Amino acid sequence: MSWPLELEGAGALATALAIGMAFGFVLERAGLGDPKKLLGLFYLEDFTMLKVMITAIAAAAAALALLAATGAIDLAGLAVQPTYLWPQLVGGLVLGIGFAVGGY
Amino acid sequence: MVTATPASRPYWSPYVAGVALGLIVAATYVLMGYGPGASGAFAHLAARLEGALAPGYAAGNPFIAGYLESGRLWAQWIVVEVVGIAIGGLLGAWSAGRFAWRLEAGPRVGAGRRVLFAFVGGATVGLASRIAQGCTSGLALSGGAVLAPGAWAFTAAFMAGGFVTAALVRRIWR
Repeated sequence: MSWPLELEGAGALATALAIGMAFGFVLERAGLGDPKKLLGLFYLEDFTMLKVMITAIAAAAAALALLAATGAIDLAGLAVQPTYLWPQLVGGLVLGIGFAVGGY
Repeated sequence: MVTATPASRPYWSPYVAGVALGLIVAATYVLMGYGPGASGAFAHLAARLEGALAPGYAAGNPFIAGYLESGRLWAQWIVVEVVGIAIGGLLGAWSAGRFAWRLEAGPRVGAGRRVLFAFVGGATVGLASRIAQGCTSGLALSGGAVLAPGAWAFTAAFMAGGFVTAALVRRIWR
């Protein structure tokens, strides 16, 4: 068995449901189901979103690096988001605008 | 949540929640080869709606046709994952004694305006997620974890857009 597994079919969809449920559960328990907390960073009043995001990125990167260092997974098998600098800059800016307006 | 019923459980430490979230992201990469996302599910749904309402146009538009050609809506990984997010969020709120029907808004905004701004903001987020090919989940979080340069450019621009706009829409939220 080689990792990442790249599941397909019913196994992939069952994983999707399980991953999604865990994702939603943790976000809610972190307080990020509340748009006021989610937007708190932009009013410099509540830094929950920033703390959760930075910790999550660091933890995920560390876990993947550890698994790769022990040979458990092959990093080359991971789909890294391609760089499209201008679309990602413009999209990020517009998404930030919509996020502040709508509270997502 | 500070405004919730007194009986509700307190929120987790953001660092504990962050580690849990990070391990979920890592597990997704290990099992699937890609990270979890969100906005792609809404693009899939919108493409199917467009295919039903204007089949000729949808089939002739390469961007929309790409989604339609990927197969049935419920067979899409990200669609099932986003349904899971809703269920997980509901379970989290309910099991913490936080489940209630209410509209989160600032004290100085009416329900109508709040919902209108939510719609406009949501449509803006949807549009932006297709420009950037991702959102705060699939691009900023999942992409950030594998050190994708585009993810960090996106996150920096997202912060800039959010901070500037928040000053203008403060009345809705504060």
